[in-house]
Amino acid sequence: MSKFADIRIDAAILRRAQQGDKRAHEIIYRAFATPVFSLCLRFTRVPAHAEDLLQETFIEVMRSIGKFRGDAALGSWIRRIAVSKALMFLRSAWSKRSQSLADDWHEHTPGDNASHGVSRHPDDALDLDAALARLPSVSRAVVWLHDVEGFTHKEIAALMGKTESFSKSQLSRAYQRLKPMLEEPDGPIAGRGAAARSF
Amino acid sequence: MTRDTKDDDMIYGLTVEERGRLKRGLGELEGTMPPRAVWNRICEQAEAEGLIRTPHDGRRRTWFGITGLAAALLLAAIVVPGLRDATQQPYPVVPDNAEPSNSVPLTALEALMVESRQLENDLRSLPGEPRVIRAGTQATILEIEDRIAAIDYQLNEAEPGLAPDEEEIFWRERVRLMNSLLRLREAQAQRTAY
Repeated sequence: MSKFADIRIDAAILRRAQQGDKRAHEIIYRAFATPVFSLCLRFTRVPAHAEDLLQETFIEVMRSIGKFRGDAALGSWIRRIAVSKALMFLRSAWSKRSQSLADDWHEHTPGDNASHGVSRHPDDALDLDAALARLPSVSRAVVWLHDVEGFTHKEIAALMGKTESFSKSQLSRAYQRLKPMLEEPDGPIAGRGAAARSF
Repeated sequence: MTRDTKDDDMIYGLTVEERGRLKRGLGELEGTMPPRAVWNRICEQAEAEGLIRTPHDGRRRTWFGITGLAAALLLAAIVVPGLRDATQQPYPVVPDNAEPSNSVPLTALEALMVESRQLENDLRSLPGEPRVIRAGTQATILEIEDRIAAIDYQLNEAEPGLAPDEEEIFWRERVRLMNSLLRLREAQAQRTAY
């Protein structure tokens, strides 16, 4: 499940961060940099873009942490900022290409075949990484938000400015793509050490 | 989420087992650490926008105050016989009978500050670090220095300020670590001499 949920920050550190303390912010950054960067990399697939989004996310954290009241966990709050930034980036990329969200399903470029080194697992995880990387960006984002970060379709729809049906259909389409590798009892995701699978 | 679960069974076309396998696989994907340079970029932007304050600035100001106080106390310590010997004890305090009748008695906290200052002077008086360093010793030295830095951070940056008894605890620990550091550095210097 989401890595954000496992991270706890001491209340005293949070208070100091709210006062603008650089070291406290660094502690928070060190705690959450990897899950935020991983999420951004998962969405964008381009390390340089993920770095920019990581920077934007933590600048936003610094700007807004004074308003953070602790109603939700700090990790959930930071994750929401990161997701919002990442989706904004995707939207911007779509608009630059004059593509609609719906068209994104048909997007498939040769560059999609690379896993971009997101994971260091040598076998099944790499296969899953590769399969995810080949999904259109919206579908990949929906899969990640729904299955890893635990967002509901309603929440995903609100984040993307779309309907719940849109989120569901994206997930369904993504599953159709991923299904072949899930069906095999000893398929790539089922067990480590399986041979690399080409798509 | 309940509604989503129901929907999953109806429309997604994956068996419960397949979905479980997929979720497990996704959850097990490793995260990726960002390059270290990103934090520096964030700091630059945050400082330019005035979003964070650098502890170094405040620390320097505080340190001027502390250094001034420590210097004044050091002068007092010169006329306090036996104070230096107290460093051999784990938790040194100024002996009651060590105070000259015409001097202002030092509190335990002030004595610790003076002692800490003296230990810093002793450390500075040692020869520079040897070229050949035992890795284990160096690691221990670095660890002690880190812990001293962490204590300094608490002493200088803690807000709201530390209560006097808390402050004394921190200074006592600082003196203890400084003693350990001094002993290690002295041993290092002796090994180099032979």
